[in-house]
Amino acid sequence: MEKYHSANLSDQRIIDALIAQDPDITIEDALENEMIINMGPQHPATHGVLRLVARLDGETVMSVVPELGYLHRGYEKMAENMTYLEYIPHTDRLDYTSTMANNVAYVMAVEKLAGIEVPKRAQYIRMIVAELSRIAGHLVAVGTFALDVGAVTAFMWTFREREKIQNIFDRIAGARFTTSYTRIGGVASDLDSEAIKMIKEFLDQYKDAHEEFEKLLNTNRIFIDRLEGIGILPKEDAINLGITGPNLRGSGVEYDIRRAKPYLFYNEIDFNIPVYNEGDSLARYFVRVDELKESSKIVYQCLDKLPQGPTMANDAKKVLPKKEEIYTKMEELIHDFMLVNFGINPPVGDVYSAVENPKGELGFYIVSNGTGYPWKFKIRSPSFCNLQALPLICKNQMISDVVAIIGSIDPVMGEADK
Amino acid sequence: MAVKKRAKDLNILEKLYIPEIVKGMTLTLKNMFRPRVTMEYPEQKFEPPASYRGRPVLVQEQDAGERCVACGLCSRVCPALAIEVQANETDREKERFPEKFEINMLRCIFCGFCEEVCPEEAIVMSKDYELVYTNREDAIYGKDKLLVPVEQLQDRIDYLRNFK
Ligand code: SF4
Ligand code: SF4
Repeated sequence: MEKYHSANLSDQRIIDALIAQDPDITIEDALENEMIINMGPQHPATHGVLRLVARLDGETVMSVVPELGYLHRGYEKMAENMTYLEYIPHTDRLDYTSTMANNVAYVMAVEKLAGIEVPKRAQYIRMIVAELSRIAGHLVAVGTFALDVGAVTAFMWTFREREKIQNIFDRIAGARFTTSYTRIGGVASDLDSEAIKMIKEFLDQYKDAHEEFEKLLNTNRIFIDRLEGIGILPKEDAINLGITGPNLRGSGVEYDIRRAKPYLFYNEIDFNIPVYNEGDSLARYFVRVDELKESSKIVYQCLDKLPQGPTMANDAKKVLPKKEEIYTKMEELIHDFMLVNFGINPPVGDVYSAVENPKGELGFYIVSNGTGYPWKFKIRSPSFCNLQALPLICKNQMISDVVAIIGSIDPVMGEADK
Repeated sequence: MAVKKRAKDLNILEKLYIPEIVKGMTLTLKNMFRPRVTMEYPEQKFEPPASYRGRPVLVQEQDAGERCVACGLCSRVCPALAIEVQANETDREKERFPEKFEINMLRCIFCGFCEEVCPEEAIVMSKDYELVYTNREDAIYGKDKLLVPVEQLQDRIDYLRNFK
């Protein structure tokens, strides 16, 4: 009892919430029979700084309350104080396992708001980098998931493959993680022949590597016994909670924004959407593994179809001019100064634009009042919404399975906490 | 709907532990003879491509000093507010020069925006990624550390002209 009096306000709130889930229980009861424990924020299996407060009866989890916000950096508020261009590097830091996909998602929202037409080549390049970063993101997800349930080898192998993607990004964008590659109206730099060669080489050898780690896990008895039937998320609950991405498709809902509302040129590409009906941790794993294969299929097709042409739109009032022209032409120089100092000034209005990120639906809602700064900026981050499923699916599971469940939900706290 | 059955039904052989363990060990052995994927860092150095964004540096011409005209555009665009420029006048052809040009390397996030907006090709990203300091004051790079002769930056400048 003493202990709870001295607990700080936020702890008291969580404890109240835990107790509220079972109105018959008093604090005395709880101390008598049940235990309230903390998991995280400094726990290696919580994928960053997620904190879970769990009420246990023996080893069974009675209820769980996730506590978020340890990595909160105020990205939505910060956006209101910077121009649309300046915000691009911040999108790298949302879902840091798939930075390119975030870059693409953000600039697409701004382009929709400002009505900028993007050249075809740039759109194909965006698809290539977005899918590559989906592969990278899923490799991290699958690898760390396997690590969480005790398979260290798979983790090493997926990270080895992912490293090659980071090297490709290094070549394309100039940085491994903090890519900041897309620009409003296009992409920062064109793909050179060396980069295309690297992507092809990677994809060719990736097939074997993928098969190898699938062999390691898919028929692994320990892995399957550990995950089958664990953390079942029923279809209706998944929809009601607003779960998106692989977690939703693992529950038997075929919803992928790339198909439902095609953006870029996904409607010209042939790919499948893997769906599993079981809704348990194993199903979520299988969705990711299958998506890895589908993504590499998409990249192959994009490389074949990659058209020639400019990579930046030609719109002097909204898109940064080419460097050559800034050096030599007065008008472009003035536009450069105007754009940097005052921003792109999109028309008054609001826009919501969402894309299918590795973790789910990443959406940006931007309200513009006609100035260079957004008036209101909202990020619909998939990890944040997916985490809402935790209290439901952890209920009545063993405490050791909570680790597996978090791994299968695959939250990235940079995105959940914004 | 592309609902698939997951390949999980194990046959009797896969259900036994011993053969699985032997299989695992063979795999381990096989991997021991694969090429190494890591790099022995301080002995072996990573040589970045021209597209690499290392620390931002100021371009120094052979005899004319820095190219920068202290327009302040880089410091305006910098998302991390890392750059401080103070302009002054000079008798040289360009008329203006930065009296003080500082980049706080603790703030810099290597985004490359300064390079992208500079109208004079005066600030570019170098290949230097080894940044160490023993205290915070050392992390504020002044003109003495930022100025780099143009010859050393030629491939980045070529890259900018071709791909940006
Ligand atoms: S480096 Fe370029 S952008 Fe920055 S002040 Fe000098 S001339 Fe202007
Ligand atoms: S690289 Fe980016 S953060 Fe660093 S000084 Fe240039 S604009 Fe600022």
